[in-house]
Amino acid sequence: MGRKLIKYPLYTITYIAFVFFIVVPVIYTFITALISSDTLFLLEKQVYLLLAKSILIASIIALLSTIFGTILGFIIYKINVRFRQFLKLALLIPLFISPYIMAVAWKDFFYVLFGGNSLATSYFGLIMVLTMVYTPISILIIGSALSNIDSQLEDSGLVLTNLKSVILKIIIPLIKPALITSFILVFIFSISEFSVPVYFGVKLFTTEIFTQFSAFYNHSLAIIQSLLLVIVCIVLLFSERKYISDAPFLSVGSKGSNSRLINSSNINNSGFLILVSYFILSIVFPILTLIIQSTKGGFSAIERAFGLLLPTFADSVLLALVGTIIIVFVGFISAYYSVKSNRTTSFDWFLLLIFAVPSTIFGISLIKFYNQPALDIIYSSYAIILIGYVGKFSFISSKLIANSIKQIPSNLEEAAQIQGVKLSIKLRKILIPLILPSLFAAFIISFIFSLGELGTTIMLYPPGTEIMPIKVFTLMANAPQSLVSSMSLIVLTLTLLIIIGFYMLMKPLLRNYNLAND
Amino acid sequence: MRLISKFIAIIIVFYITSCNNSKKEVIVYTTVDQIFSEPILKDFEKETGIIVKAVYDTEETKSTGVMNRIIAEKDNPQCDLFWSGDPMRTIVLKNKGILATYQSKNASDIKDVFKDKDGYWTGFSARARVLVYNKSMVDDYDVPQSIMDLTNMEYKGKVAIANPLFGTTTFHIAAIFNILGDSVAKQLMAALKDNEVVIATSNGDVMNRVASGEVFCGLTDTDDANEALKEGENIGIVFLDQLGMGSLIVPNTVSIIKNSKNQDNAKLLFDYLLTKKTEAKLAVSCAQMPLHSGVKVPEEVPSLDGIIPMNINYEETSSNLKEIQNYLKEWVEN
Repeated sequence: MGRKLIKYPLYTITYIAFVFFIVVPVIYTFITALISSDTLFLLEKQVYLLLAKSILIASIIALLSTIFGTILGFIIYKINVRFRQFLKLALLIPLFISPYIMAVAWKDFFYVLFGGNSLATSYFGLIMVLTMVYTPISILIIGSALSNIDSQLEDSGLVLTNLKSVILKIIIPLIKPALITSFILVFIFSISEFSVPVYFGVKLFTTEIFTQFSAFYNHSLAIIQSLLLVIVCIVLLFSERKYISDAPFLSVGSKGSNSRLINSSNINNSGFLILVSYFILSIVFPILTLIIQSTKGGFSAIERAFGLLLPTFADSVLLALVGTIIIVFVGFISAYYSVKSNRTTSFDWFLLLIFAVPSTIFGISLIKFYNQPALDIIYSSYAIILIGYVGKFSFISSKLIANSIKQIPSNLEEAAQIQGVKLSIKLRKILIPLILPSLFAAFIISFIFSLGELGTTIMLYPPGTEIMPIKVFTLMANAPQSLVSSMSLIVLTLTLLIIIGFYMLMKPLLRNYNLAND
Repeated sequence: MRLISKFIAIIIVFYITSCNNSKKEVIVYTTVDQIFSEPILKDFEKETGIIVKAVYDTEETKSTGVMNRIIAEKDNPQCDLFWSGDPMRTIVLKNKGILATYQSKNASDIKDVFKDKDGYWTGFSARARVLVYNKSMVDDYDVPQSIMDLTNMEYKGKVAIANPLFGTTTFHIAAIFNILGDSVAKQLMAALKDNEVVIATSNGDVMNRVASGEVFCGLTDTDDANEALKEGENIGIVFLDQLGMGSLIVPNTVSIIKNSKNQDNAKLLFDYLLTKKTEAKLAVSCAQMPLHSGVKVPEEVPSLDGIIPMNINYEETSSNLKEIQNYLKEWVEN
């Protein structure tokens, strides 16, 4: 019996492919920019003041999203409120609309309400819009952690003390990794977002990068500036790792993790009221604005928008779907081996690096690397867009899946190992069924992000091809407001229908998961 | 075996979806709004049988995504023809050595001021910078007639301009610097700032703020103003400084990318864009003013003959822009 040449072949192949196809272009771009550019600006105090301001704003948004996500996630996943299934899906809607369009809708809405833009044209507007856009991420992350909690722990707690103590002493500590993940993901999304700060006229570090890039065409300087953002994100992840290593990871019980729903009419009613209020504020108001704008002169704008977007549906959905499958696969492989090795692997760092690089810079890196005659088959085809999706979103899927794997007791796998069960069977029969809700959450988030990705795709989409978010945004300029709003509504409806379809397809599997855990 | 066949299938899919540049096609990158440029490109496709593969730009990136893409692709150009909404970006590309020269016979009657003397770019259909005002807030007889009027106390906090770091507003300010000289232009900018001019995110945003009555008036482009009129907004349009330095005329430009793969087809499209027919279509769709004489246009489209234009050299103004950009950045931020 010969020794295996590679200890973990699947991991190694995935890792090498990710590094070669995605990381090398970015590192190459950073190195060439550092060599060719004047880096003296790094000594300027102003740069760091602006960076500090961006960190502060991103922290506020991340904190608010995590708080709202915890409250709303708890109500949806732990309380038996009315229309629970509907609200679970409905609260995700802000994720389906581009932050830029949400900003426009909110500003218009404020104008109708208060007759002036002052309330929305400020830090308040920026924080409010981004918090509302990113809260669904927190709900999904925290919700999936809540549904993984062993009900026996809650039951035992409730025998000894009241619900409040159970929440504070048992549930919150159990979902601490998810809370931190939610904060970090929203923080990174917020700190790299440029279109909303530009729209609200708030000067942040990303708007500075955008200015260097789009007003001065100084690519090298923009790339080096974005390196500072990447460093901030890496420091954040580093501290998270350090912190989480001490966090109490409680596992799902050996019998299972079926989440116990609270069923008290008072709590149910209050929870329902909170959910509905948030639903009206964050979803009904902006969507109502879009509907009013769309139907201003009848339904002709909606018809026209549908005709314009129809040719983009098939390619966009297929691309997002293929991208999502690869993203979840990469996320699972990296998460599994990272958890098993009990340390932050270089794969984790690479995933973070690419996630933290601003979309435009990532796009430029891929152009500089792939735009060679020999690589034309990649650069001039949809493959380049898939590379963009996988690079941008694998970190999210890896984080979500890793959190879930950490909650699985190691004795389950150890027992299988003692029995001599193969890795593939171990994964298929033990691990994957136990982390199914998180895998599904990772799938849904990755799909939504891939379907709406604009920043990198706009730099890479092959000439002559039509992808939905690109078409919406290229048609936005100078198109009548009714057409722009109609397109946004169509994108939202399509995304929602697809997500509902995914939920329906997954329903039997998730039901089996719940039954198995009962 | 199954894995290999899957791999081959993927390669075939990518090959099918990739651009095969040996075909009868032309790759166009354009900063002109898709809603206006796409119909023209489709017509060319129908008339010539040459497939046009286009890359359009977005408002979100201030229409600089395409520019940045061309710069990044410089060493292995994918784009054959660049159709820009203004000469400024084209001149940036020319200065970076990205453009090839071509002089179309269809441009013979276009004035020299709208063409590069070496043929790096040629202008056609133009927009103008105008003042739009809300008719229910400003009486017709009281409308500002000069950019200098916008510094008057009565307009304090009631005038909007788009961020001068981007788009045609940059070019407008650079042209003002070119004509008035740095010192007077800086005084004007300082006075505007003292008068609490509202910095909007885009020309479209200026238009919306004027139409909604948030401000009395603002500087924008004729195409944005035209769209607002089509939507029934109660606004008026003024060509500023007709007794002084004139209004800025912003032509579209077309250029061929150096070392691109479909140069012959690109030249055919270049010629096509410079026809009177194209100018007539752009006059109808977005009220652009033809640079050829004798083009039939709708009534609401102003004629260049009736406007006193700013007497500028586009190349010089573009160079000037480079020098004042840091000043403008500071002006916006402080």
